[in-house]
Amino acid sequence: MAKREKKKSFQEALEIPETTVLDENPSVAGLRVSLDEIKAFEGVKGYIMRNTTSAAIDLNDPSKIIDYAILSSSAFDATQELAPIFELGDAKEILVEGKNAKMLSVVTDGNKISIFMKKNVDCEKILKKLHIA
Amino acid sequence: MNDELYSFALKNTLTEIQNICSDIKNAFMFKEDGEVIAGDANTPEKTIVQVIDALEGIFEKADVLDGVEAITLEGTKGKLIVSNINGFYLVTVASGKADMKYVNTVTRVLIPTVLRLAENFNPTSLKNSPPESETKIETPTFRNENTPMAETEEPEEFAIKEPSEILKPEPSLPEAPVNQLIVENLGGLLVPSDTVRIDNETLVQWTELYEGGKIESVEIQTFDGKVTQCKVKPIKETKYEGKGIVQMPEKVQLTLEIRKGELVRVKPLIE
Repeated sequence: MAKREKKKSFQEALEIPETTVLDENPSVAGLRVSLDEIKAFEGVKGYIMRNTTSAAIDLNDPSKIIDYAILSSSAFDATQELAPIFELGDAKEILVEGKNAKMLSVVTDGNKISIFMKKNVDCEKILKKLHIA
Repeated sequence: MNDELYSFALKNTLTEIQNICSDIKNAFMFKEDGEVIAGDANTPEKTIVQVIDALEGIFEKADVLDGVEAITLEGTKGKLIVSNINGFYLVTVASGKADMKYVNTVTRVLIPTVLRLAENFNPTSLKNSPPESETKIETPTFRNENTPMAETEEPEEFAIKEPSEILKPEPSLPEAPVNQLIVENLGGLLVPSDTVRIDNETLVQWTELYEGGKIESVEIQTFDGKVTQCKVKPIKETKYEGKGIVQMPEKVQLTLEIRKGELVRVKPLIE
């Protein structure tokens, strides 16, 4: 039974449409406005925002939604595992940098946000826009 | 310089880095395949394995970013930084008040320097390169003990030699590769209690590495240092293939005092 439920949730993850917004509440709506502005920054490839009731995805390359979604979720999972090991306190952000691109993941007001961008984009600018910095 | 000395040199370097930067709480290095290279004195190997395990998901899915060059996890009380240095990953954990410019300067200068030095001593020591089958095996030419040394000649053990100059008394087998695998239960009426199962692909790789040498048993070591030897066969169920697991009968698990889900080191024993 547990297995079936797990499979279902995985399938649900796969079926997330290109841009999905569920259950818009005011704080989420505010974040979405900020994220849409961030998305317009040069070099930003898109974002994924999730909370317990809603999800919003906007990516330039929809064919990679699953890859981005899994990477984002892996980063949040890693954060949860690593922070207690080294007593890092509450995790503020995790930045994963590749050769040409990077992902900035933050948690704000219970919303898990991952922003994908080219390597030269200034993360501080993004954090300021999200009112986190 | 063999892997052990290499690891020792890096371990000392990591500990020295902590002495220079008191804000660095932990420092250790691992390879892309998850093998631990060296860790400072403060960080238990079990913790290092936990970290590698936690980061695995990111490494696996980082293709969309063209691999992982660096990871920075910032918490309210501290930071964890993973940096790719010459293909190896250095993890440093620093306190919240750490001057990251200073920390980065120290780590990014010292570690590559030690790596370069060690590589110069033995360019193949760290990389898991396949055995060089074409390497010419030199005939042993031991000096007659009765022959007096020339006055200016240094005793052999103090002379620094190029790797190619080192005498090879007999053709030696390549160093056994060590795989870190997750324990999975293996049960059933007809299951022998002294046989573990691992990926057929791994067995094939080992066989190729030893040029067709028969691999019928393996040595299994836990992170607590318990070791046992068992027979080995390939995994039968396709659902377990490529998952990095070792299927283990209960008896072997009891011997090693481990359970399903724990990590063990497995290396082949050559017949």
